[in-house]
Amino acid sequence: MDERQLKELMAGTESAPPRDAARERAISQAMNAFDAVQQEKQKKFQGSGLLGRLKDRLTDFKRRRSMTPRTLTQKYGFAGMATATAVLLAMVTYNTFDPYLGAEKSLPEPIVETPKAETKQAPAAEAQTPSIVFRGSPRKSEPKAKSDSSNISGLRRAGEDITAKTYQPPQAVVTTPRAAPPAMVAPSPAVRQRLSQRLEGKGAVKLPEATSGIRGLMGGSVVNPLLRDSVPNQYETSGRDQFENADQNPINLVAENPVSTFSVDVDTAAYSFMRRMLNRGVLPQKNAVRIEELINYFPYAYPKPATRERPFQSTVTVTPSPWKKGNKLIHIGIKGYDLHPVEKPRSNLVFLLDVSGSMNATDKLPLLVNSMKLLLDTLRDDDTVAIVVYAGAAGTVLEPTKVSEKHKILAALDQLRAGGSTAGAAGVRQAYALAERQFDKEAVNRVILATDGDFNIGITNREELKGFIERKRKTGIFLSVLGFGQGNLNDHLMQTLAQNGNGVAAHIDTLSEARKVLVEESSSTLFPIAKDVKIQVEFNPKSVAEYRLIGYETRALKREDFHNDKVDAGDIGAGHTVTAIYEITPVGGTNRLLEDSRYKSDESAAASNSPHSDEYAFLKIRYKLPKSEKSNSFTTAIIPADEGTGSSEVQWATAVAGFGQILKGGKYTGSFSYDDVLALAKTAKGEDEFGYRAEFLNLVRLARTASAMPRK
Amino acid sequence: MTAPTAERATIELAQKGDKAAFELLLRAHYDVMYRIAFKWCGNQSDAEDITQNACIKLARSIDSFSFQSAFLTWLYTLVINTAKDWMKSHARHPSKELPDNHRAEQPTAENAIFANQTMAYIRDFPDKEKEALFLVFGEGLTHGAAAAVMDCKESTVSWYIHEARKKLQSFREVECRHG
Repeated sequence: MDERQLKELMAGTESAPPRDAARERAISQAMNAFDAVQQEKQKKFQGSGLLGRLKDRLTDFKRRRSMTPRTLTQKYGFAGMATATAVLLAMVTYNTFDPYLGAEKSLPEPIVETPKAETKQAPAAEAQTPSIVFRGSPRKSEPKAKSDSSNISGLRRAGEDITAKTYQPPQAVVTTPRAAPPAMVAPSPAVRQRLSQRLEGKGAVKLPEATSGIRGLMGGSVVNPLLRDSVPNQYETSGRDQFENADQNPINLVAENPVSTFSVDVDTAAYSFMRRMLNRGVLPQKNAVRIEELINYFPYAYPKPATRERPFQSTVTVTPSPWKKGNKLIHIGIKGYDLHPVEKPRSNLVFLLDVSGSMNATDKLPLLVNSMKLLLDTLRDDDTVAIVVYAGAAGTVLEPTKVSEKHKILAALDQLRAGGSTAGAAGVRQAYALAERQFDKEAVNRVILATDGDFNIGITNREELKGFIERKRKTGIFLSVLGFGQGNLNDHLMQTLAQNGNGVAAHIDTLSEARKVLVEESSSTLFPIAKDVKIQVEFNPKSVAEYRLIGYETRALKREDFHNDKVDAGDIGAGHTVTAIYEITPVGGTNRLLEDSRYKSDESAAASNSPHSDEYAFLKIRYKLPKSEKSNSFTTAIIPADEGTGSSEVQWATAVAGFGQILKGGKYTGSFSYDDVLALAKTAKGEDEFGYRAEFLNLVRLARTASAMPRK
Repeated sequence: MTAPTAERATIELAQKGDKAAFELLLRAHYDVMYRIAFKWCGNQSDAEDITQNACIKLARSIDSFSFQSAFLTWLYTLVINTAKDWMKSHARHPSKELPDNHRAEQPTAENAIFANQTMAYIRDFPDKEKEALFLVFGEGLTHGAAAAVMDCKESTVSWYIHEARKKLQSFREVECRHG
């Protein structure tokens, strides 16, 4: 083999170019590592008490929130804006967002000042755009010119002007072709924006003279027209996050298909994901929006059931549809029985934590560790906790330990480091083995899987993994899945696993979300009160012509599955609320989308003599008590007496449903707009103890702005 | 050997903790790093993982680059060491599968398959020989420059290459006989 052949061989075998996503991931992780190093360096100078700060826990909630990605994005000098400019904030993040932005540590630590310092409800504070000042710097870091810009394009132009002013002819570049390969000439808008901020001279780092080379490069990039196209598209249509493809449920003709069957769903992952995208200033991809999860994200004050034997209470309301005149919405609210603290059973928990290399980001492993600490505080002393980690290999970090020995658990958590690739399946086995060892018939036995994505080594066969989890579920060990980060998330897999393990799937993007899922809702996350809860609604062809279930696309069941106890369905935890909304067109409605069948049988005439002719529909709910394999059921007729304008809870759910449908493309909502959602939601906000609803209002505003962005 | 001015300025800035400069550096060199990693392991996802690790390593060690050698030379060393570590920690041989199925379906498949087989064969060579081959024939370095990366004498590089080519020759003969 001669030299030429060898060279050709070497040159010719590179068949797979690097993927952009991989490149971005690598760069983002390297930037994180870079930040960590810089922080380390700074600490040497400042003797900063970072570690000390990490040690205080709940008491220091507010400050630690400053480590969460959203707030850090704000740190970038867009602080000091009033609530009214929150929308602008989102637009700035749109331009500057990148995954590692959240980890910038070379600037001084900000102190987050929430407008209402006494409210400990973090979400409320978050929704109100905290103002940030830099420690040791009395002035606000936001340049006046920016907050004055009243529209997005103006803002973007302003940003570019700033950069343009600092533009210097790129002399240095000419002499150094190697330093300026294509990738270098066209850095991301994020880099450009950040460097331009740096160049404004307000940053902590003063650029030395030598910068001019880079400044030249960066400045040069501003005039590069390619860059304008590199702004992300309006919808995030691709990326490594995987979602199940689901179109909205179609309209059904009652005469043809009078029965609708689905499984309840108490997951909320879709809401967190949507929030994350909107905070970036982009609309979430349509498949990522699961309307029922948006609706069920919020706690609703529906009437509570009286006893545990009938674990939940349903409330039905029929209201006029806000987006289609003449249509009605049938609103079915279910409230689960809430346990008193003394009734809570013991917990046998095994945390299965992903510590693969990709978890090495501020919004992943550190957030996960902090979340686990939060959860730990809600547990009782005789509960047991074990920790299994998985990366290149799976290993037990902590043998089952009583919560009373909390220091041991905390020490184990603090030692977690990210590295290696993901061998999830081996970890799953090990975690279940531990849970089995500690199995307690009376206790809640649960594996809590925390991951940022796919299992790419080991059993990658999804069916096999599903089967495994399903078999374990039958032995009484349940599984919950917590998703972290974004960019690599396999949403569909998370959903599937949690559904098969009788658990919830939640997406945790901030510490306040962790608190919502693991503390506020810990009893519903941990203690099931009913399992395999199925809902079946039979519509009365005499009074309803067409119907459509809003959301629950991925939860649809076959009609015959309702009575089949072998068919798995969703679970309801203590205190959970589940809401389902049908849109119906009454018989005689003029705005129907489907025509009657020409050969429609005349049964409805006969039915008119039956005693149920004025009912809209008949609701059947079927469920199993947690330790039983036999189903119970209860039924209610939905009658005209249920009609009304609806409580604020009903109105709220309607507003969220409208919002979700608009995000999914607005196929059935006509001219119903974000403004209509806002108007409806504002009146229905209610008490909103934890600020979840206030946050939602902000998200609607963000979506309105994001949708106003020019399409590519 | 000094780095070109702009590159040097970028590196110095990054060493002082400038994020943007460091990101520029990363973006400029990611593809080169990936290419080396790909040659080493022969499949996309491993190469991406290795490059990712190498990027992280770069973040941690950029401070220690002292302009004694060309940045690229230094980078080669870093990536190759990362690749070696990665292979070791994963305790498995580099994938011998064809990198991508579509290659086999191409009309000129035969040559490509042979090339891939040869590459897979090379990947089983001792690290040093493999490294020398990749640097000299893959990256076009002189024996002297490769020696700088590998931290050995130029003559040693030549010897590695010689050994590797001897093996390749016999591999080819065997393959051709069977073929």
